[in-house]
Parts: sequence; C-alpha cells; structure tokens
Amino acid sequence: MARIELRNLRKEYGSVVAVKNVDLEIRDGEFIVFVGPSGCGKTTTLRMIAGFEDPTAGEIRIDGQVVNDLEPRDRGLGMVFQSHALFPHKSVAQNIEFGLRMKRVPEAERKKRVREVAEMVRVTHLLDKMPAQCSGGESQRVALARTLVTNPSTFLLDEPLSSLDAKLRRELRAECDRLHEELKRTFIYVTHDQEEAMTLADRIVVMRAGQIEQMGSPLDIYSQPASYFVADFFGSPSMNLVAGEIVHEGGTPRFRSPRFDIDLSNRYAGTPPGKVTLGIRPEHVGVGVNGEGGNVLPVRLVEPLGKDTLLYFDDGTERAFVAVTEGLANAAMKSGTPIALKFDPAKIYLFGADGKRIAAR
Amino acid sequence: MTKSTRRRIGSLVRYVLLTFWAVIAFFPIYWMVSTSFKIDTQWFAWPPVYFPDPPTLANYAAVWLGREEVASTQFTLSMQRPLQSLMNSTIISFTSTFLAVAFGSVIAYGASRYKVLTEARMFQLLMLRMIPPIVVVAPLSLYYSALGLLDTRFGLIVIYSITSLPYAVWMTKSFIDEVPREVEQAAEILGASRWRTVFEIVLPLIRSGLVATFLFILILTWSEYLLALILSKTEVATLPIELSKYQGSTEGRVYGRQAALAVGITLPLMIVGLIIRKHLARGFSFGMVRR
Repeated sequence: MARIELRNLRKEYGSVVAVKNVDLEIRDGEFIVFVGPSGCGKTTTLRMIAGFEDPTAGEIRIDGQVVNDLEPRDRGLGMVFQSHALFPHKSVAQNIEFGLRMKRVPEAERKKRVREVAEMVRVTHLLDKMPAQCSGGESQRVALARTLVTNPSTFLLDEPLSSLDAKLRRELRAECDRLHEELKRTFIYVTHDQEEAMTLADRIVVMRAGQIEQMGSPLDIYSQPASYFVADFFGSPSMNLVAGEIVHEGGTPRFRSPRFDIDLSNRYAGTPPGKVTLGIRPEHVGVGVNGEGGNVLPVRLVEPLGKDTLLYFDDGTERAFVAVTEGLANAAMKSGTPIALKFDPAKIYLFGADGKRIAAR
Repeated sequence: MTKSTRRRIGSLVRYVLLTFWAVIAFFPIYWMVSTSFKIDTQWFAWPPVYFPDPPTLANYAAVWLGREEVASTQFTLSMQRPLQSLMNSTIISFTSTFLAVAFGSVIAYGASRYKVLTEARMFQLLMLRMIPPIVVVAPLSLYYSALGLLDTRFGLIVIYSITSLPYAVWMTKSFIDEVPREVEQAAEILGASRWRTVFEIVLPLIRSGLVATFLFILILTWSEYLLALILSKTEVATLPIELSKYQGSTEGRVYGRQAALAVGITLPLMIVGLIIRKHLARGFSFGMVRR
C-alpha cells in the first residue's frame, strides 16, 4: 500500500529551477505517468521520490509519513532505470537475488523467490547468463525482475523502454500493464513518449518547464487539452494548430488566417476579438474531394498508411496541415488536387496568446 | 597500381618501420641481459661482443650471492648491499604504492560522486606532480632531518605515497567515472548501504583499473632516484641507488655487475606485469570501448 503525496516540491540546481512547486497526490495502486519533453522536470521529480535528489523545498510523503530525510533504501520503493543498470559483474540470478540478500532473506527462500519472479517476467532461461549476454529487451526484463523480487510498495520507472526498438517497446509496455494489473501496486512511470503515456496511465501528469501543465485521464488529456502545449504534445499525427485571429461578424464569431476562414461555434460569441490559435485534430477535419466549400487547399502529399490515408496541405506555416481519411479511398490522389476542408465547430479548440485554452461558453 | 598492391606495399612499409623501431627499443634491454652474462674482458670489447662467449654467471654470483672472486680494490664495493636494497625497494615501493592507490581511490570516489574536488582543485592536485622534485628536495631533507625521517624506510614511503597521490587520484577517478551512477543507485534502492555498494558493486567493476594504476605507480616508485638519493644515505638505499654504486674508483663502471643488478631490478616488475596482464589490457583500455 502506498499513497504518495508531493507538497510544494521544488528543486533548484544553482540558479536553474528544475522543478517548480509541484503539488500532486498519487493514489494507492494508481498507474501514473509523468510525461513531457526533455528537461521538463519529470525525471528529477521521480528521482526526488526515490531519494536520489534532495528537494530544495517542499515535502514528499509516503502513506502520510514525510520521507525527505529517509535514504532511498528505507523508502520501500523499487526503481527501474532507463539504462537497466544491471550489475555487469553478477549473473542474472545474482542480479535478481541482490535485493533479497541485502534484506538478509535466507538462501532457500531467496532461490525460490528468484525462480518465481523469473517465471513471472519470463527470464528463467537467462538466470545463468551474464548481463552482457542479454539483449536490450531481456536486460530490461531482468531489471524488472530485480525490482519485483523485493516486493516494493511502489514501482518507479524512469523511461524504462526508451532504449528499446519499437516492437520490444510495445511488448514490454503490455508487460508493465499486466504487472500493474496483477500486483495492484502503485506505478510511477516517466516517459517522453505520449503514446506510452496514453496506453499505460490511469492518470497522466503533463509536465513542462518544471511545472504540471495538466493532469487527468488519458481521455481528458486528449479531448480536453488545457493548453496549446498539451494539445500539440498528444496525438499522432499532432493536432493541427493554425495561428490567426478571432473576429465577430454580425454577432457570429469567425476564425481568420491567411488560408482559412472558419465558422466558430456560438459558444465563442463572448470571446473578445484578437489573436488566437485554432486547433483541430487531423481526424476531425472533413475532406470534400469535389473542392466545394469555403476552405479549399491543394493537397501537397498523400501518405497511405493502410488503415488510413494522411493528406498533407500547405497552410502557409512551417508545419503541414494534416487530415486523416479512413481507408485508401484517397490514396491515389494526385498532389495539387484542390480539396475542400470542413471543420466541425464542436471539435475546434481555440488557444489564446498566453497558450491557454479559451473556454467556450 | 591496383588498390590491393598499394595496400600490400603500405603494410610492408609499416612492418619495416615497426621492426626497425622495435629493434631500437629492445636493443638496450638485450644489451643489458647480454652484458650480465659476459666475462669482464668482453664488457668493453671492440668490435662489440653480441653474444657472451663463454656465458658466465659470475656477475650474478658476485652481485646477488656476494661472491666476488677478484680482490675488491674498488672502495665502493664494500658499501654494496644489493639484497638489502632489493628488500628496501620492495617494502618501500609496494607499501607506498598501496597507500597511494588506497587513499587516491577514496579521494577519487569523493571527487567523482560527491564533487568534493572541483575541476580546478583536480588540476591543482596534478600540478603538485609538475613541480620538479629538485626544487623541493633540499628543503624537504631539512624537514626530514628534523623529524628524524632521513634515511628511513618510513620517510621514503611517506614521500612516495604523497608524490604518487595525484596520479592515483586522476587514474582511479577516470575509472570510477566510467561506472554508471545508476548502477550504484540501483544497489542503493535495493537496500545496499553506501559501503556495501562501494565494496560489492564499485570496487569489482574498477578492479582492472586499480590494478593498472597500481602497476603504473609501482614502476614510478620502483625506479625513483632523486628523492631516494637525497633522503636516504646508507641505511635504506633502494635499487636505483644501489645501481649507481657500481662505479669502480680505478676501473670505471663495473658493467657486468651493473647489468646483473639491472636485470634483477627489471625482473620483479616484469613478473608483476605478467601476473596481472589480464587486468592491464582491460585497465588501460577502460573507457575507450563504448559499452
């Protein structure tokens, strides 16, 4: 059982503030994912929870007890590192056994537990090998086993899959998910991969520049992004974000940019005119092949993916404007074909100059 | 010219140059060994005698067993005590090297993990080694004289440990830096204390590096001459000092004896090197291979 609370947690390295007053409560048994770009403070936060970094200010509580001054080994946590961090001079079995040996578990019991967890993460065949003889995926399984065997209340996982190839990543992601289901322990997982966050998390904590940008279920984060940053970070392909301005014509709000003129929902009627960024997910962009409608753009590139086809348009900015159409119906489309793009007003997000989402009323 | 011919010529040239260099490098060693087996008339013979004929063990017997056949007219011969010098050198070199590596690695661990030494301090430490010993040796001998350390093994052990420390710190730090911090942290979070982590994780991982450092410093202290010359007089002569004694007052250098002694000085280092050669290759290539 472990409930972890971060209160006003802050970490400074000289004049650099890595983590700015983070407040967070992690429920017992929750799978929480810290996600954000490099340098956003997610790993530092995790390392403070583990006890490898001392907070400059603030409190870390585990089950109500302040643990700021406890050594890592006294916090009852387990950690899996990005680099696996196996002991290279010890065999796989000795690696897994290490934690038990430190806890002075009798040898017979140790042997039994090592077998059990080895079976659990399917590394039994590796027990006599040295870490150097294991592949990346195998090493990470061993690292998981080494953590599992000590039966920690909480698992801290610091980008555990980022050094693996795509297929292994999917495989081990499923493994993490299964372990969480089976063990019913608290998992705190750090990643910069939004897909990993979406698939694994009960709750996602999006971090940016040392602060929590948004917190919520994967669905919340995806469908209700609180800011331009979150909207841009989640989703593949990314949300289309078009800079322009909001104008009111005869009481109806409209969005205008050099290439687009889009009707907005009346819920934005109260929004003052000015510069905004319009966001719409590629799957919510309607595509009219006949080229009728207000917003016609020529296709620049067609990317058939099998299940879907991606259409790229030039909207006058550095990034392409993307629309997703189902199936391969548009796969043979020639570049330059004029396409009418339709926008469902209910699926449009607007972000203000400060990057925050403008609430529709 | 085809590419393969060019490559073959290139390789031939390389071999010729390397062979030439190897001959230059190994000739003095060959000459030392060969001279040690020569009778005294061949030491200075012209044309030079490359292969001792007949080979004799007289030089070795004279130096190491104290069997001097000729009446010793050279006054220096009476002061020669090669076996005692060997004992002195062994005790002084191994002890001071051990101390330097032991203290050096503790400092290096602190410097690597706790940043107890800034980059500037690390360089200042190395600067200690840049001071020519001749600058400090005269004042040092005054201190030594006052402290009663002159002409003692302990005195030489102290000065060798201190002067080797910068090398020990620098070398071991580079090995410790190579051990990923996360490996230690993994041990810590699994319940290992700091000491346990150092002894069970860090030390085994840098063992080859420690051995390489040990040999490197051992070679330096084993062959150190200047400090030993000034800080010891008669009681604790080390082997390099002993070597300088084979200078006859009437007949110049006693080359055969000197060569026999020199072989005896070189041999222990070679034996140590052979014993730990497995570690040396790994120690000296540590960090060059990306893992």
